[in-house]
Amino acid sequence: MRLVALDGLAEKSGFQLGQGVAEARAMCPEVDVLPSDRAADRALLEGLADWCSRYTPLVALDGETGLYLDITGCAHLLGGEKSLLDDLLARLFHLGIEARAAISSSAGLSWAVARFGAQSVIAPEEAARVLSPLPMAALRLPADMIETLGRVGLKQVGDIIEAPRAPLARRFGSMLLLRLDQAMGLEDEPLSPRLPVASLSAERRLSEPVQGEDDILGLTQDLAARLKPELEKRGEGGRLFELLLFRVDGRVFRIAAGTSSPLIEPGRIAGLFRERLQAVHDDLDAGFGFEILRLSVPRSEKYEVMQEDFSGTPDRERPLAAFADRVMARLGAESLFLPVLSESHMPERAAVFQPLADVGMLKTLEAAVCAVPAALLAASVRPQRLFQSPEPVEAVAEVPEGPPRSFRWRRSLHRIARAEGPERIAPEWWVDGETAAERDYFRVEDERGRRFWLFREGHYGGPTQPRWFMHGVFA
Amino acid sequence: MAENAVQRETVLSLRETIARIENRRLAGVVKTVKAADPAGFRRRQEGNQASGRKVLPLGIPELDAILEGGLPLEGMTEIRSSQTRDAGAAAGFATALGALCQQARQQKGDAAAPVLWISQSLASTEAGLPYGLGLKAYGLDIRSLILSLPRTVKDALWIAETALSVSAFCAVILEIRGNPASLALSESRRLHVRARAGRIPLLLLRQSGHEEASSAFFRLHIEPAPARERPLPDGSMLCGSIGHPVFHVIAEKSRSPAPVGLFLEWNPHDRRFYPVEPLPAAAAADPEPAHSVARLSASSSRPGGADTMGHLLAFPRAS
Repeated sequence: MRLVALDGLAEKSGFQLGQGVAEARAMCPEVDVLPSDRAADRALLEGLADWCSRYTPLVALDGETGLYLDITGCAHLLGGEKSLLDDLLARLFHLGIEARAAISSSAGLSWAVARFGAQSVIAPEEAARVLSPLPMAALRLPADMIETLGRVGLKQVGDIIEAPRAPLARRFGSMLLLRLDQAMGLEDEPLSPRLPVASLSAERRLSEPVQGEDDILGLTQDLAARLKPELEKRGEGGRLFELLLFRVDGRVFRIAAGTSSPLIEPGRIAGLFRERLQAVHDDLDAGFGFEILRLSVPRSEKYEVMQEDFSGTPDRERPLAAFADRVMARLGAESLFLPVLSESHMPERAAVFQPLADVGMLKTLEAAVCAVPAALLAASVRPQRLFQSPEPVEAVAEVPEGPPRSFRWRRSLHRIARAEGPERIAPEWWVDGETAAERDYFRVEDERGRRFWLFREGHYGGPTQPRWFMHGVFA
Repeated sequence: MAENAVQRETVLSLRETIARIENRRLAGVVKTVKAADPAGFRRRQEGNQASGRKVLPLGIPELDAILEGGLPLEGMTEIRSSQTRDAGAAAGFATALGALCQQARQQKGDAAAPVLWISQSLASTEAGLPYGLGLKAYGLDIRSLILSLPRTVKDALWIAETALSVSAFCAVILEIRGNPASLALSESRRLHVRARAGRIPLLLLRQSGHEEASSAFFRLHIEPAPARERPLPDGSMLCGSIGHPVFHVIAEKSRSPAPVGLFLEWNPHDRRFYPVEPLPAAAAADPEPAHSVARLSASSSRPGGADTMGHLLAFPRAS
């Protein structure tokens, strides 16, 4: 077991990374060693990244210990870069997190200064001056390259800034100069933000944290009302809304609510979140309250503005969409289904249920149902209820290939009075494989008038003994 | 003399109250009393009084008499099957009513409103999922059918309530298995009131359940019955074939009970019910005629079965 991370006091006491735990205990018996938990570290960093989205939507993870914040165009909201940085560090300090930060015009320079420098805000023209006294490690180079550079006396960044580039590249590879240029701001370095940036968002910062569900929903409706003019200007409606709740202790909750048709009405948006809050009720711990609420629209679509007519017949889609949204917000996306027919001879594949994702689907499905050839639909009798997986029954048939005389299903005996069939359905070899047995379907009625759909899989004299199954019940 | 008149008025007003509670129009009584109505109970509007409940006549005098005019289009109707293996028949009967609601909407010229079928997952795993092809052949327009498979009874009730509060559906079928405690009298009352307020017919399809006091207008017990044979073009019957489905409908809760029950055949092509005579063989094979004689009491470890009709004020709570 080795030490992988040290706190400030341990560093001062002379421990080193990579040291064995036994050796550390020998140096200082009362040292407190905690097992490392990378998953928890990662979760903490992601939680911090969420928290940092109060400053900018563009937050990227940097390895296991750092975050990049792209604050282009955001600094003025907090009164300049310096005060943003002070605010950030002060808040992190109060959360109990020791952090170092720097603002500069390139990600590489900020990385270097935050870890090895002292200055906090660096103007673009100061890059060379600030970078020169820093050690080579500030350039994010691999350890063996730093060692090689050190062996020839290149220990500070300043040593290579002024040096001729061609020999450096020849001896140490292009990596060194790329990192140098990135730090100097000469080479562009793209940052990939952790989450996609919403096209629209509105935010409310509260001086007094709120806890109640009704307060949250009221504020959500306010935010939605603020989003409405912008959505209208674009001619769009939101298909997915995301509500970010920043708790005072730094935890951030994200609650997303999808809609089945583009939506701009604030009342209905708040209504969606009412159902979502009901659904996530136990997971949403308000604690001491939420201080920032942000409503964003990650996905939007064209919104058709419809004028109501004078005929008085209400539009059929709008209440249906409202219903679907409420149900799906509360019970999940897979709670409403539409029947879909497809061209297949196997009964279980010929009609399936597809989750309702979009109210517009109702229309496209009408077309799809009509597209299935009528011959396939009218050809034969089908039960009104179908078991998802056929249930085995014990059947007795008078003649081997004939309809059963009686059968036992779910431990009760049914004597068959009449039977129709067989209807032979051959397996679809392109799906089931070539060895699947064919089925002979019988529609039977027992003495009490119950009508069932039974089938025999395989036939007598075939490779396997035939088996009987119950597949559906008729009205 | 004056005392007599006051007494008579009291009696009449009480009678009117009862008539209103029972949703029944006593011929003449209400109108004569109305003019001198001393009590402070709430009056309905004149127009409503004339039209009464909105119903969908099913075209069979006996059934319409049981249902007091037809299937109530605002409110709850319970359809019950006592065994799981009869669930197909009960679901078929409910589907037929749903198809009739759809048809009525289309004939009125309204846009096709969908039918919502809420089937608690326990019910649909036990008795099978509704099957699109079969329902289409049965006369239901599956282009406007929405199915919901909630996990718990509570979720199912919530979805039903939500659906009844938006006027988007032409019928809601709520399928529940057994008599769960979370759907007792007060919950059924709540659903019934919602359905009346939303002006949507709610069909509570109770699979293998006992009879239980509920707020539904009517409770129909559905049993399958042997089908007729298929007719041939020349008018004769194809021997040994199985024709259109036949149901044995017993009105368990109704103001005009018909204890023997009715035999109804559903014709998917015409989309209507036809009355049929019970097959003599079926009547003979039926060991238990519907409530005509007193049954033996049930085994001692279970609650006793329903007593003879007419003695019971309320059913014991089965849930």
